[in-house]
Amino acid sequence: MKTQSKLYFYLIVNALLLVILAVMALYTGVYDFNGASPFSVLGQLIQGDPGLALNDKYVIWDVRAARIIMAILIGSMLAVSGTSLQGLFKNPLATGEAIGLTSGATLLAAIAIVLGGHFKQYLPEVVQFSLVGISAFLGALLAMMLVYRISTSAGKTNVVMMLLSGVAITSIGFSITGFLIYISKDEQLRDLTFWNMGSLAAATWTKNIVLTVVLIISYAVLLPKGKALNAMMLGEKDAEHLGINVEKLKKQIVIITSLMVGTCVAFSGTIGFIGLIVPYILRLLFKSDYVFILPLSAVLGSILLLTADTISRSIVAPSELPIGILTSLIGGPVFIAILIKFKKSL
Amino acid sequence: MIKAHQINYLHRNFHILDGVDVSLDYGEFLAIVGPNGAGKSSLLSVLANEVKGKQKIVFKDKPITDWDVRELSRHKSKFSQHNSNEIPLQVKDVVMMGRYPYFDTQPAKEDLEAMNNMMYETDIFHLKDRDYNTLSGGEKQRVHLSRVMAQLQNEIAHKLVFLDEPLNNLDIKHQYKALEIIKNFTAKANSAIVVMHDLNLAAQFADKILLMKSGKVSAYGTPEEVFTAQNISQAYNFPCTICGHPITNNPMIIFG
Repeated sequence: MKTQSKLYFYLIVNALLLVILAVMALYTGVYDFNGASPFSVLGQLIQGDPGLALNDKYVIWDVRAARIIMAILIGSMLAVSGTSLQGLFKNPLATGEAIGLTSGATLLAAIAIVLGGHFKQYLPEVVQFSLVGISAFLGALLAMMLVYRISTSAGKTNVVMMLLSGVAITSIGFSITGFLIYISKDEQLRDLTFWNMGSLAAATWTKNIVLTVVLIISYAVLLPKGKALNAMMLGEKDAEHLGINVEKLKKQIVIITSLMVGTCVAFSGTIGFIGLIVPYILRLLFKSDYVFILPLSAVLGSILLLTADTISRSIVAPSELPIGILTSLIGGPVFIAILIKFKKSL
Repeated sequence: MIKAHQINYLHRNFHILDGVDVSLDYGEFLAIVGPNGAGKSSLLSVLANEVKGKQKIVFKDKPITDWDVRELSRHKSKFSQHNSNEIPLQVKDVVMMGRYPYFDTQPAKEDLEAMNNMMYETDIFHLKDRDYNTLSGGEKQRVHLSRVMAQLQNEIAHKLVFLDEPLNNLDIKHQYKALEIIKNFTAKANSAIVVMHDLNLAAQFADKILLMKSGKVSAYGTPEEVFTAQNISQAYNFPCTICGHPITNNPMIIFG
């Protein structure tokens, strides 16, 4: 089969799976629509049926649908950011969590939450409104640049340095976030706990719109970079000989992944390991061919996070399990599996 | 084709290259030879525009830094020394990378042809579905050779290939095959700059020889001009005798 048609085939199969999962997720939940199926309620809502109860409308649209869409958007972006980072660092262990990107984002977001009140009034209104999001992006960007500086010289990444600088950034983030928790007020504390656990419960349509905009911009830049990331495996200089503008590519990946991770952290806290698990699964099927794994990780990330979220909110219903527990439960063993597989080359 | 004047390249105040001039004509096969640490690979790096600096290198009458990266990749390619890189892909995917400058998403018929032809010529066609990482050192060399040569399969006149020790790990047959591929390439008015260690092979295949020592050019010219007992003994600090090749009458160097 031609490369393109093979890719489209897998994309369509995965997209179908995602749609089925989304419908199942719509059906999952404690709320009872007086015997009506959630799907028909959603249908009524879309047709603008005036007979629809306000409660039903709220649950189906503002709670379930918003949350499902948010899971799809965030899962997708986390997976693509993981895959792109692995392409940049030429290593399957590079993910937002492992190299401290998530910690950097969480740290600055936490600072914005706790100390934001003191300097917020000096900032322009747009920034005030999205202070947490912007801080998370900057935190991710700073962490990323620091790790890249430390671990990469002359176009070669030292994996040990990469992971250790991630450990260092994470521990700095951990201690300062801990301190912020210690000094924070009750309401801020609730926000902070949310960051550390990670949750999609705070989904709203406004957030989904922002996420969609970020997603479209990011994917327009990143998804066509499959060939370039393949060429990077030869080394940066050889990639340049193949006509790839390596410096520009690196800058794009650094900025776009920080943007994606920052936005995701700002809206859903730290949901770990999606960026590790998804490319790992895809590599089992397609080796390291980024022409395939980059676009496919966008869909598979959604599938994974939507599944995890649906399980996390139904397994102990009516309560809910923090989603980070589930993703880490799969992610940890995957991390170990990669370590074992790459033992000889590390 | 390519001209460089007075290349200097310093690393921590140590002159890796010290006032090197290079000039290459269309259709020439230039072999860079010299002892370890003479600056051969560095010179190749500088010429191939890998080192960003003040070096003035003119490629096809235009400063090499003024070229568009993608356009340049259709005029020149480079074979580097790949020792440790893990590339978890199949052999044919690695060779296909050489065609990246030519297609966006779907390789065209020419791309597949160029890939297959070069895999035949370098004798790796039977390995095309193997994992690159499971190949032996010599086989990996041939994969990259076919990638680099596939990159220059196009209609453009006067192309240039840089090769950094392409014969490493190759058995005798494939050493000759590789050199014949390069020779065929230069026969079509293209040029090649090849760093190599085997002086006898250089004498047999190259049109021009650049003998380097300690970052300087110690001799430049045709094999007959450069490969004199005095030049070689001086550069390598090792005694040698020169005699004529019984068949081709090219210089033949016998060490010891």
